[in-house]
Amino acid sequence: MSTPGNNRRHWELWISVLPFALLLVLFLIGPMVLTPLLTFQETKLYQLRWTWSFDTWSTVLSNPTYSAVLLRTVWTALLSTIVCVVVAYPVAYALNTRLAAWSNQVQILIIFAFLTDAVLKTFGWVLFLDVHGVGNWLLQKLGFGPGATNILFTPKAAMLGIVYNLAPYPIFTIYLSLARIDPDLKHAAYDAGASKLRTFLQITLPLSLPGAIAGALLVFVLSLGTFLESKVLGGGTKPLASELIRQTFETRVNWPLGAALTFSLVLVALAALLGLVMIGSRLRIGAAGRETS
Amino acid sequence: MLRLQNRIIDWALVGGTLAFILFLYVPILTLVLFSFADSRVLTFPIEGMTLHWYAQLFQNPNFYNALKSSLILALITMILSTILGTGSALAWMRLNFPFKRALQALSFLPILFPQLLLGVMMLLWFSVLRNFIAVPMGMITLVIGHVIYATPFVLVVVSVQVHGFDAAIEDAARDAGASEWQVLTRITLPILRPAIVAGMILAFLLSWGNFYLSYSLNGSSQTLPIFIFSGIAVGSSPIYPAIATLNFLAALVLVVIAEKMRRKATRRLAGTES
Repeated sequence: MSTPGNNRRHWELWISVLPFALLLVLFLIGPMVLTPLLTFQETKLYQLRWTWSFDTWSTVLSNPTYSAVLLRTVWTALLSTIVCVVVAYPVAYALNTRLAAWSNQVQILIIFAFLTDAVLKTFGWVLFLDVHGVGNWLLQKLGFGPGATNILFTPKAAMLGIVYNLAPYPIFTIYLSLARIDPDLKHAAYDAGASKLRTFLQITLPLSLPGAIAGALLVFVLSLGTFLESKVLGGGTKPLASELIRQTFETRVNWPLGAALTFSLVLVALAALLGLVMIGSRLRIGAAGRETS
Repeated sequence: MLRLQNRIIDWALVGGTLAFILFLYVPILTLVLFSFADSRVLTFPIEGMTLHWYAQLFQNPNFYNALKSSLILALITMILSTILGTGSALAWMRLNFPFKRALQALSFLPILFPQLLLGVMMLLWFSVLRNFIAVPMGMITLVIGHVIYATPFVLVVVSVQVHGFDAAIEDAARDAGASEWQVLTRITLPILRPAIVAGMILAFLLSWGNFYLSYSLNGSSQTLPIFIFSGIAVGSSPIYPAIATLNFLAALVLVVIAEKMRRKATRRLAGTES
């Protein structure tokens, strides 16, 4: 640290870090504390009443519809996670090896697509996947029968949308962990006579695993809250938890129920994030070890 | 034999990456294509080309209002997030204070957390808060939500450059008699400028395209993504592809500027390290 002077430090601290910290406490911690509390209340005549009871939780736990939706949401999140990582790994690997010279350009292309309005992109998929859309037209030209990709408004289309929107996350985490691997390790393996495949399996893959797991957890958590994909592409026959949550607020005005469903998902998300933090600290220890050795 | 195997793997990697990029641009290109389609129904093949939908778009008063709200929201979010994010980035690197680790973890939560759940929880909070202070759902709640979401991104972008910043330059200025304010405005901020501008653009785009938070926090005001969502939920119309195309063009310009700035920042970083 530079020149001391306790007064200056205090002044700097108040100005620089406190406004955002205050905002986080007021509008992030506050809502996260309130939500579980609300699950023990009830609504009468569209008004919230502060009466402490377990009624909402017993409804959520006893009604099979809710557990089915929650399970389906977690299952969809798991599947999307696997697909995302399987899709992302080769791309991240290529960006670190064969396409390293083009890495910047490819990354801009990915970031641009990624930052573009999600509602619009999802609508673009509707137009593409439509029976009379571009996709089917192309398939027909290639000799497939009419209506070859009839997946619009099915859970498959929703899944496609989720993978589309979330795959960039693991690409970046895997790319970063691959970039941190000391190239000398690979060269040493080659010098010792290991094949490319063996070097990959025994050196590169294990060392990039933290990035892959971090990306996977990120996709898992974020896909728990997806709504657009299942609503716009999935056709709404098999709603995910987020649709149900919105519905309990909009049409049924049942705050405690909505809060309980939200909180259930939040618990799953927080558990996954805790895993992410643990991997993060392991990564940091690993990196520190590498620097000292 | 082994070389052939390596070749195949290499080509599969390159081909796979290209296929992925194509996949990313499928919906974007589809929308651009349909924005010029001379037909009310959005089916393929397209019969003729027209600019009709762009003209119609600008005659739609709801579109104008949504555009205005989105622009105001994105600009306010950009300014506030940039100030808060830059301040936090400087504090994280330079200062030690109690609960620093906890605050850092908390600051990343908005990035890592599902936005829809975040929005719903904030909505509940504001609704209960209404019994004590009147916070009208609308622009104010939107700004609060968007700032909480965008600031961590600015923080990350600026932190990277603060990390490579040689604090000795600031000390030299202080030794030469510069006040704290002069050090900040003449030394620190100018050196960090590329990262700050990149963070600003990122914050703008994140707010501009945000659907999930706005969906819970908008009250009666409509932002562009909400306008589009409520439109396509009712039925598709060729004005939405037209909005998309204009949106892509604007975003393209901003992303190119942001990337230029980010690279300038990395170069400066490399320069100070050597």
